[in-house]
Amino acid sequence: MNTLTAKRARNLTLNVVTWLFVLVNLFPILWMVWTSIHSNEEILGGVRAMTLDHLQWGNYLQLWQTINYFGYFKNSLLICGATTILSTAFAVMAGYALARFKFPGSNLFGMSVVSTQMIPGILFLVPIYLLFWQIDKNIGLPMINTYWGMILIYTAFYTPMSIWIMRSFFVSVPRDLEESALIDGCTRFQAFRKVILPLSVPGIIATAVYVFLTAWDELMFAWVMTTTSDVQTIPVGIRLYVGQYQNRFDLLMAAAAVSTLPVLLTFFLTQKYFIRGMTAGAVKG
Amino acid sequence: MARVQLKHVYKRYTGDVVVVKDFDLDIEDREFVVMVGPSGCGKSTTLRMIAGLEEITDGELIIGDRVVNDVHPKDRDIAMVFQNYALYPHMNIYDNMAFGLKLRKIDKQEIDRRVRDAAKILDIVHLLDRKPKALSGGQRQRVALGRAIVREPQVFLMDEPLSNLDAKLRVQMRAEIAKLHQRLQTTIIYVTHDQTEAMTMGDRIVVMKDGIIQQVGTPTEIYNHPNNIFVASFIGSPSMNFIKGDLAEEAGSLFFRAPGLNIKLPEGRLAALREAGVVGKPVTLGIRPEHIHDEPVFLETFPDSKVDANVEVVENLGSESYVYLQAAGQSFVARVAARTAVKPGMNFTLALDIDKIHIFNTETEQTVF
Repeated sequence: MNTLTAKRARNLTLNVVTWLFVLVNLFPILWMVWTSIHSNEEILGGVRAMTLDHLQWGNYLQLWQTINYFGYFKNSLLICGATTILSTAFAVMAGYALARFKFPGSNLFGMSVVSTQMIPGILFLVPIYLLFWQIDKNIGLPMINTYWGMILIYTAFYTPMSIWIMRSFFVSVPRDLEESALIDGCTRFQAFRKVILPLSVPGIIATAVYVFLTAWDELMFAWVMTTTSDVQTIPVGIRLYVGQYQNRFDLLMAAAAVSTLPVLLTFFLTQKYFIRGMTAGAVKG
Repeated sequence: MARVQLKHVYKRYTGDVVVVKDFDLDIEDREFVVMVGPSGCGKSTTLRMIAGLEEITDGELIIGDRVVNDVHPKDRDIAMVFQNYALYPHMNIYDNMAFGLKLRKIDKQEIDRRVRDAAKILDIVHLLDRKPKALSGGQRQRVALGRAIVREPQVFLMDEPLSNLDAKLRVQMRAEIAKLHQRLQTTIIYVTHDQTEAMTMGDRIVVMKDGIIQQVGTPTEIYNHPNNIFVASFIGSPSMNFIKGDLAEEAGSLFFRAPGLNIKLPEGRLAALREAGVVGKPVTLGIRPEHIHDEPVFLETFPDSKVDANVEVVENLGSESYVYLQAAGQSFVARVAARTAVKPGMNFTLALDIDKIHIFNTETEQTVF
């Protein structure tokens, strides 16, 4: 076999392996979409019953009528949107401080921020529930089943990782740029706002996308901390299609497909920033 | 335009690491001073202290007639050109140059005039609408200079501004910066590790090592009368040759003796050597490559300093050749005319120009003469 043929054979093998990998990963999404356009009877009838003959596009209309899907959608947008703004804002400021300033305990603080990610979130479930309950009982400020309660939890959970992403990004911005701005006539805050911040837009977008997507998918805290549909988010809402006496897999899958759309859209629109932000500082620029 | 005075300036970091020690220098108004030294000698730290980017641990910094130790960089009326240009990537060249003026709320028409004047001087008018990433290294360096010029500061600070350029461009920009200094008549403090830049550009050179000033002087002074072995070896390319030996007095004459060498020193130097108390003691002889000759007339003139050497390597530069030699266990280099027929492996007789030799105290490394 000559070198060219060997190279082609290697490329072909790599392509086949890549496509297999993509298919395995895409299968759940394809299955979700395929299931969502069939009737519940066909789904329960198994794979053979799910043919191309009776596609139920109506599921996508019915899902809005059966439960208050729009309400859940709105709640998700509100909670995740506010969380994204708050987490990203905190991360930008803390990340910059960690990247640029040496202060007593700065290394320890930086490591503590990352190490919080090693603790499983479920460990906080009961303590936070009790804390919120105590706040309501003692101060009279309702926290359970409120927007701000959820926003507070999500912000607290997603800020540490966001700080780390932003820190990596700021580290990759040459210090000379800030120093040049200081000499040009900026105060430190002006140098940050006029020079560093515009250069960090990819990192800020990456952080915001990370927070939004993670919060959008969160079920455990939303399930425990919210009790009524006027606060509950999509992951909680679509579970209502699975009941004690009847499972509406058709509507469940259609709702899941719709809830995936904002995630996909956000990711595809911002993926170049997302990848750049996640890998910032990994290699010399 | 202003005078810059550094009075016993120190820079210490935590853990008692001293990077600049007792830096004392008076830079005249409109002077072009070059700080030169190897990596880690404290030259960039000193420049950053003048810029206000590093705090001064001890001592006083005066720009013009005010002490600026605690003055914010923006209020020091200085401009700085960085090694990696530090152009703002999200702004076009015009905005990069106008940035400092806008912050100072200078009238728009005045900003436009200054930016276009500077762009004309540096021949970058056609680049004003471009972003830095669309520029070559040389063009970026011009923009960085332009950004400093438009500010019309009292002092220009330049931190190895030519290090990232290729050799040809570096030579070109070297001349342009020198021309710019003549045109603007502003105080410039320039940092480099390249002794050629220092020699060709500065009115005065400050040679530094380990955070301490080794010598301050004009390029000629520093080249011809180095204070110590470090300065002698750092300035000049190829570097000065050093031969370790000792001084012996014989029948009223002084001889430099090293294995295989017995060089009679000029009579006129006797007094200086006796006064320095180095007679009979170990000394180091220094001679620059261009003061080692192979021409017959020299061999006849300096019969007491003839050396038979073996040629190891020849570097032909076209206009001249550097010949790397080995004689009596010592390695040294001679700069000879390119037409000299010399090849590796051959024996070569040379003579040291004894009027041009330097003698250093081997123990203290200080110059005797």
